[in-house]
Amino acid sequence: MSAITGETAWDELSLSPEEYRRASARYRQRRSVTGYLFLLPYFLPFLVFLVVPVFWSLWLSFNQGGILDRARFVGFRNWQEIGSDSQLTISIENTAKYVVAAIFLVFTLALFLALILNRYRRGSNVFKLALYVPLLAPAVLVGLIWQFVANYDFGLINLILTTIGVGRVNIFGNGTLALLTIVLAEVWRGLGFWTLYFLASLQNIPEELLDAARVDGARGIQRFRRVTIPLLRPMLLFAIVIAIIANFQVFDTVYVLTQGGPYESTSTMVWFIWERLFQFQQTGQGYAAAVILLGIILFLTALSFWLLGSRRRRRRSALA
Amino acid sequence: MAEVLIKHLVKRFGKVEAVRDVSLRVADGEFLVLLGPSGCGKSTILRVVAGLEDADAGEIVIGERLVNFVDPVKRNVAMVFQNYALYPHMTVAKNIAFPLQIAKKPKAEIEAAVRRAAGILGLDDLLERLPGQLSGGQRQRVALARAIVREPHAFLMDEPLSNLDAQLRIQTRLELIQLHAQLGITTMYVTHDQVEAMTMGHRIAVMNHGVLQQIGTPQDVYRRPANVFVATFLGAPPMNMIDGALESVGGGWRFRGVDADVPLSPEVLSPPELRHEIEARGEVKLGLRPEHIRVGPPGHDGGIPGRVEFIEPVGSDIYLTVEAGGTTVQVRTDPDSPLRPGDNVTLMFDPWRVHVFGADGHNLRRDAPAVGSTLVQAAAAG
Amino acid sequence: MAVESARLGPASGDERHADYAQAARRRRTLDLGKGIAAYTVLTLFAVIAVGPFLYLLSPSLRHSYDLFTFPPQWLPKSLYLGNFGAVLHQTSYVRWGINTLVFATSVTLLTLAIDTLAGYAFARMHFPGRGILFGLVVATLMIPTAAIVAPLYIIVSHLPSWTHAGVNTYPGMILPMVCSPLGVFMMRQFMSTLPEGLVEAARLDGASELQIFRKVVLPLMKPAVVVLGIFTFMMQWVNFLWPLAITTTDSMKTLTVGIASLQGQFVTNWGLISAAAVMTMGPIIVVFLIFQRWFVQASMAGALKQ
Repeated sequence: MSAITGETAWDELSLSPEEYRRASARYRQRRSVTGYLFLLPYFLPFLVFLVVPVFWSLWLSFNQGGILDRARFVGFRNWQEIGSDSQLTISIENTAKYVVAAIFLVFTLALFLALILNRYRRGSNVFKLALYVPLLAPAVLVGLIWQFVANYDFGLINLILTTIGVGRVNIFGNGTLALLTIVLAEVWRGLGFWTLYFLASLQNIPEELLDAARVDGARGIQRFRRVTIPLLRPMLLFAIVIAIIANFQVFDTVYVLTQGGPYESTSTMVWFIWERLFQFQQTGQGYAAAVILLGIILFLTALSFWLLGSRRRRRRSALA
Repeated sequence: MAEVLIKHLVKRFGKVEAVRDVSLRVADGEFLVLLGPSGCGKSTILRVVAGLEDADAGEIVIGERLVNFVDPVKRNVAMVFQNYALYPHMTVAKNIAFPLQIAKKPKAEIEAAVRRAAGILGLDDLLERLPGQLSGGQRQRVALARAIVREPHAFLMDEPLSNLDAQLRIQTRLELIQLHAQLGITTMYVTHDQVEAMTMGHRIAVMNHGVLQQIGTPQDVYRRPANVFVATFLGAPPMNMIDGALESVGGGWRFRGVDADVPLSPEVLSPPELRHEIEARGEVKLGLRPEHIRVGPPGHDGGIPGRVEFIEPVGSDIYLTVEAGGTTVQVRTDPDSPLRPGDNVTLMFDPWRVHVFGADGHNLRRDAPAVGSTLVQAAAAG
Repeated sequence: MAVESARLGPASGDERHADYAQAARRRRTLDLGKGIAAYTVLTLFAVIAVGPFLYLLSPSLRHSYDLFTFPPQWLPKSLYLGNFGAVLHQTSYVRWGINTLVFATSVTLLTLAIDTLAGYAFARMHFPGRGILFGLVVATLMIPTAAIVAPLYIIVSHLPSWTHAGVNTYPGMILPMVCSPLGVFMMRQFMSTLPEGLVEAARLDGASELQIFRKVVLPLMKPAVVVLGIFTFMMQWVNFLWPLAITTTDSMKTLTVGIASLQGQFVTNWGLISAAAVMTMGPIIVVFLIFQRWFVQASMAGALKQ
């Protein structure tokens, strides 16, 4: 206020700092509420069916029962049973063997096919569609189909073996062969997806880089090793982690083809959990195994985030 | 129609202060240009007025109503964005009608308003097209139509011409001036292009680093810049700055720089008032606009000797780059000048055309305005 | 003269041309050979991929006594459609199909609804804790169903009666599958690519957030929504573990669970089982061929996600 004229300068503030702060808070609150309202429909089921169950799972590992009857707290008994019971270790081993074999096989084949499809584009659409079809089949169908392939009496493999005179093999009676069948079934199923994935990644590599390499005199294999692979590496890494996490949970095919047999040689982690929870009524062990599975997956997820982050960090420092 | 008041606005982004205590008053019906380089805070001010950002301190008053905590739509302002922000999946007619539909106006009223706005901007034939089928200039006009149709209290325009090519920019500039003359709506116009500012604005508010440097009519800001920034930002080529010091000689001031010793007119610097201030401030800069410098033969008294380095003929003039006063000086001269690189010359000028800037960048001329919000009073008075 | 020219090598242009022509011809045969090999490999894998499904056609069209001839032949001696009838009448196949349809469609529609809303909130709205909440969603991206299947079962069986949810109910089956974090992640990523100016312009035009969502954002999201929809539908159609856990009665099973149960019930009736498989795969393949563009996009989306 000007002391002389008693007028207010046009630029004088009308609100006190206190009033300002209050009005500002109210205004911002009004807008935040809308944001939360938009999130509510998702977060409600999210909390009830995703977040809570995770913690409940942890709690259950110290209980027994609960599915058909009330849960009873038993402390560390489940964990002790699991520790002494070698079944779980076998299951984890089987799962690990399966994951390694399946990923190695499917990635090699997918990359191979993707390279071919990338180079020979004419008519590639037909092949892409064909490769995609097994993906559409539910795993149970895949299981059924491979019954036809691996069956002792009329399966395709035994057919071929008898025709060439080697004699039939009881595939589902042999632990290693049974596991191999599961691997092949899942590889057969997933090939389409990963081929398309690698194809997309390859097509992301700018043509000019390969041309430049060719002009520099690099031959096919050299170009592959020194240009394609390094550029593919981030996508490859990401794919490997995703594939590991997904394949660790293999279940459907096991259920249909081998039911974990023979003698638990194809029992995977999820199969173990399933058996204990819903078939043998050894719920305690199932709960503990579920927590272990959760732990493994979370560890792998964290590893993948860390790997991705460190690549970005390394690249940034390389460019600095 | 309303006046817009911005009182002591402060806006921070994290730790950075984008707008520092800026106060502006836009009179009812005025076309005010916010001019400055990128990052100076001019767009931020606009967005705070629109309600797209919240002020950290300070008040915004539109039409005598405090609007800091009012939803954007209720402020009754319309904004034209740099990339037009047209709804790509709606026809031109629907784009223009959108704000009225949201306001649930009756269909007849909406149709009439859309036709009126389209008519004013010459869009009658394009009403059923999609934005993707329009040229840049046409899209700009749709954006304007959508702004007009709401009959707002104020227009806020954020560099609307930046995405147009040079030819279109000139044409659209004229159309905007005509539009404002026709509608008379209070407008705040943000740009970094000083030509736009000079030709379009009633007044220009020059900003740098979040601080209002000066506000005044285009002539004010050009002829009596408040500081070095304003002086060099307006005018192309920019005003020349020659380093040196002031010396009081026989009741008047002389400027002394490298090879330079020129008397200063008492109209420019008033001796008694400024003596102590200048001595306290130390070094000064002499400011001369390229068009105010005349080139004379070497050895002439009262000028600054120099040597021609480059000659750039642009058809209507010749721009000379001259080494003088310890720095490079740009001079605009006659297109028929016979000068060649390497020639020695004397740079001469009318003594009352000179600007003198203190060490803190302030213009020390008697008639130069002060920096900051008091400029509004100065402009109103002057 | 002749001695010098011999030292310099073939001097005549014709001879040089012949050499080039020969080298070019060799290269062309090599390329041709590579091409043939490539397409052979592709055909081989295509056959391996599609073959088994075609192979299934055979037993499905045979009577059980006709199934295992030796030497085996693909073409049945006479077409027998009884298997398909048997599937429809002797099993709950129709019931299973309806269940799966209801299940997959409901989950897809619900997922699209809540994921788009949440995606918009995360992408374009401002409220405290936005980052943390989104981080929470991302963190749960990889949680395996198997790890939480037990608590889910318990929770579903204890839900209040007004939800009509429980074991062996539609809501019980559907609800837990609705909160996949992948959808929210995808929606938010896609919505972030929409120009900020559009939403701001709409705000200035006076639209409420819901109006902006419905009239401005959603229409521009159509391709992403379709992709997410197809992806979700596919995933739930082949979902096995959860329906297996939550349905105990035959009449509530989904196709995947039901077909798996055929093995126990009709253990040697391969004709019936393969007929069921054909009936399940047939429509899927048809739908796939019609909408192939979106299917391929859905899986490419995974590749480009990073």
